[in-house]
Amino acid sequence: MPEKKTMVISSAEQLLDAKTRRNFLKLMGAGGAVFFLPSILTACSDDDDVTGPAFGQPAGSGPAVVIDFSRGDVAVLQYAYALEQLEADFYTRVVAAFSTSTFSAGERVVLTDVKNHEVIHRDAFKAILGPSNDFTLNTTYGNLNFADRTSVLATARTFEDLGVAAYNGAAQYLTVLANLELAGKIVSVEARHAAVIRDLIAPKSSSQGDSGTSFAPKAFDDAFRPGKVVPLAQPFVVEVLTPRNAPATFVQGPNNNG
Amino acid sequence: MTTNNTTLLDSIDPEIVQTLAKRQNEIANGAGTNSKLTAALALGSIPVALAALSKDVYGQSASDVLDVLQFALLLEYLEAEFYNRGVQNATVMGIPAADLPIFTTIQAHENAHVAALRAMITAKGATPIAKPNFDYTAKGNVPGFNFAAGQYATFQVLSQAFEDTGVRAYKGQAGRLINDKATLTAALTIHSVEARHAAEIRRLRNLKGWITGRSRDDLPLFTQPIYDGENNASQAGILLLPLGNNNGGGEAVTEAFDEPLTKDQVTAIVTPFLA
Repeated sequence: MPEKKTMVISSAEQLLDAKTRRNFLKLMGAGGAVFFLPSILTACSDDDDVTGPAFGQPAGSGPAVVIDFSRGDVAVLQYAYALEQLEADFYTRVVAAFSTSTFSAGERVVLTDVKNHEVIHRDAFKAILGPSNDFTLNTTYGNLNFADRTSVLATARTFEDLGVAAYNGAAQYLTVLANLELAGKIVSVEARHAAVIRDLIAPKSSSQGDSGTSFAPKAFDDAFRPGKVVPLAQPFVVEVLTPRNAPATFVQGPNNNG
Repeated sequence: MTTNNTTLLDSIDPEIVQTLAKRQNEIANGAGTNSKLTAALALGSIPVALAALSKDVYGQSASDVLDVLQFALLLEYLEAEFYNRGVQNATVMGIPAADLPIFTTIQAHENAHVAALRAMITAKGATPIAKPNFDYTAKGNVPGFNFAAGQYATFQVLSQAFEDTGVRAYKGQAGRLINDKATLTAALTIHSVEARHAAEIRRLRNLKGWITGRSRDDLPLFTQPIYDGENNASQAGILLLPLGNNNGGGEAVTEAFDEPLTKDQVTAIVTPFLA
């Protein structure tokens, strides 16, 4: 198999340049990789842009979104921003589908609250990251039926448990106290969401373990490294989530599975 | 800043001085910090503040880590014994069979937390604190509570109080673990489990799983310090209230972030439960 070619796009002007554009299209056709530096991604987020993937396209069919952990704390916040974008988008669609779904009144209150929290998390990171916030992920959910209670809750559980494990695992990369505190303030809310979603699926369950249905299926939550989180999130993302330069050493949590 | 201090600062890394100057501004604006640093800055003593800051920001020590672990162990002892006695007295208290799995689950977790913390303390060459005796009436704040007949509702109230406290307590100590990644990660994996417990017991009590503003909901007045400060709507120095527009308003902004408590604040909450 020939080695895949790569190109790096660092400014919107490059995309308007005929030669760049030609090479870009050629490279895409050949299955090559294109890396967009963060500054370009906002410019590419419109659906009608030549490079802008849209909602519902196949997972991983879009351009790479690189999170470069050599940037330190900023990268960890970008990583969190990426995950919060997915959660916010998911619950926004869940709430938008209420007219056709079978959730009880109480469940709608819960899901609307969670939607609000996740949108606020996303927008908070957007504000906090400032110039480093310039990437927008497009989502895809395969054939998920947003009107189907069971499917929606199962996906919600996946997102919330993954969010908890992602924050718990990424905290060790943070070097600034304020950032660690911020992550801590959010992760426990994600854990509250996880427990409530799980209680909607299996009320008052005590079932423990990896496939346990309990609101709290383990005495210690998981702590996953980015390299474990990204493949679990990728099925919901059109772009190619591309963590780079994550520290070689990962300190495991008590479950030793991250 | 005095001339003497300026001279002293000339020999110090300018980045640290900048950080300190920024920190001084933050403290003037009410940011949390350690008491020695506050005292030093109140005296206008930059060198003393630098010494305190080195601990506040750079290089939490091994003794800090042990102090956090022992403090966490105290809280876990409080919770573990509470659920051990609750489950033991489930029938007499009148815990319905449908609810019991919640409490046996939490009981198992809190006992696992106790065992893990004791092991971590021992592995660091120290001796875990002994389990103290507890007074679950909190010196009479919960009159007559003794895991007795008809006290299931009160048991739930205390459970919520302990879990919501636990979340904020671990959160408040995370910063002191920033240089000990193994301990930090272990503590965080307990922290989020406490949050799951809190959400479940809150749901059982027909409350939202998350904390709105600084509301203690229907909990008794003495629990208010467990919720004070939860109405914070600024994160990373940015007022986030506008983000609530069309997203649940300011209430949702406060719900979206759990807030830490300092060790002193948690100690004040827990002390009445020490016999």
